[in-house]
Amino acid sequence: MPRVLIIVPAYNESATIADVLQSLKDHAPECDVVVIDDGSTDHTSEIVARFPAVQLVRLPINLGIGGAMQTGYKYAIRHGYDIAVQCDADGQHPASEIPRLVSFVQEGKADIVIGSRYVAESQYRPSFGRRVGKSLLSRLVDAVVGGGLTDTTSGFRAMNRAVLSVFAQTYPDDYPEAEALVILHKSGLKAAEVPVEMSPRLGGATSITPHRAVYYMIKVALAIFIDIFRTFTRASGDARP
Amino acid sequence: MMNSAAGLEWTHRLGLFALSLILLVLVLELVRRGLLKERYALLWLFTSAMGLFVGIFPGSIVLLSHLFKLQYLSLLFLISFLFLMGLVLSFTVVISRLSEKNRALTQEIALLSHALRRLEREHDRGE
Repeated sequence: MPRVLIIVPAYNESATIADVLQSLKDHAPECDVVVIDDGSTDHTSEIVARFPAVQLVRLPINLGIGGAMQTGYKYAIRHGYDIAVQCDADGQHPASEIPRLVSFVQEGKADIVIGSRYVAESQYRPSFGRRVGKSLLSRLVDAVVGGGLTDTTSGFRAMNRAVLSVFAQTYPDDYPEAEALVILHKSGLKAAEVPVEMSPRLGGATSITPHRAVYYMIKVALAIFIDIFRTFTRASGDARP
Repeated sequence: MMNSAAGLEWTHRLGLFALSLILLVLVLELVRRGLLKERYALLWLFTSAMGLFVGIFPGSIVLLSHLFKLQYLSLLFLISFLFLMGLVLSFTVVISRLSEKNRALTQEIALLSHALRRLEREHDRGE
């Protein structure tokens, strides 16, 4: 059996985190869970502490989603996990699909598997603006990476140790998902997609407002363009820096 | 009437010299008090040295201004502008590097304090 770690990045998710952790416990009992509390100012960490089996890593200051996720990757590398699953704390990512994502990676079909929202069987319907933005980004990533990826901004993914060692070294700050795939591609790793049924978020609000979405698009497109000309290194083994 | 062929106006020359001297003293004092690191002070020392040089040898800037077909004051402004642009760019590089280090440190603190809490709990159980 491979050792699997579920990484849950959380920033002020007190409304939903308990349900998410409960659902992880129910659907993926054999996996360890670590919550990365990205400097929440609400009761997120107190709620997490009620789950004794769940590890809690608290960032002393807010780093944003990229810095929080990378903390989880470093944690996974240092504790010798074979596979890590990334799962949002707002309840959009169904825990019941985790075993499917994990088995995909375990069978070696890809180094990273993305739970996709757009493949036929999913009911996920984002707003028009977001749909256009995300599909443009996905096309850009697909043009660089290839392999017919359609949902490159989904944060629901499972990955092996090779991917973790790249991400522990290099991971974008904000809106990291799409660019991360380009970084992996440049590192010679393979991405695949499986359709999953996403739920609407249980609570909280999306952090993406219209003008942020414009920044998001431009920033990620620029980052991807520059990444084409960069080289990436991997963190070495379990050695602590 | 300003005549660039004849060199710099006395007032301009004196002003430039005095300002450069003030900058020089200010930068040295900041370094002495530990408020400015030597590696960043070098840039400013270089600037003030340039100012002093032009103040003492005004012919240099007049020669250059003829070369670029500019009034020497315009040339001085152009040089300062380019210098400031370079300085601001180098600042944003420094800030980026700092934020990268800050991020790594924050992550390290979080992971270490988690490991410490875990050890403490195990220790308490062992007592």
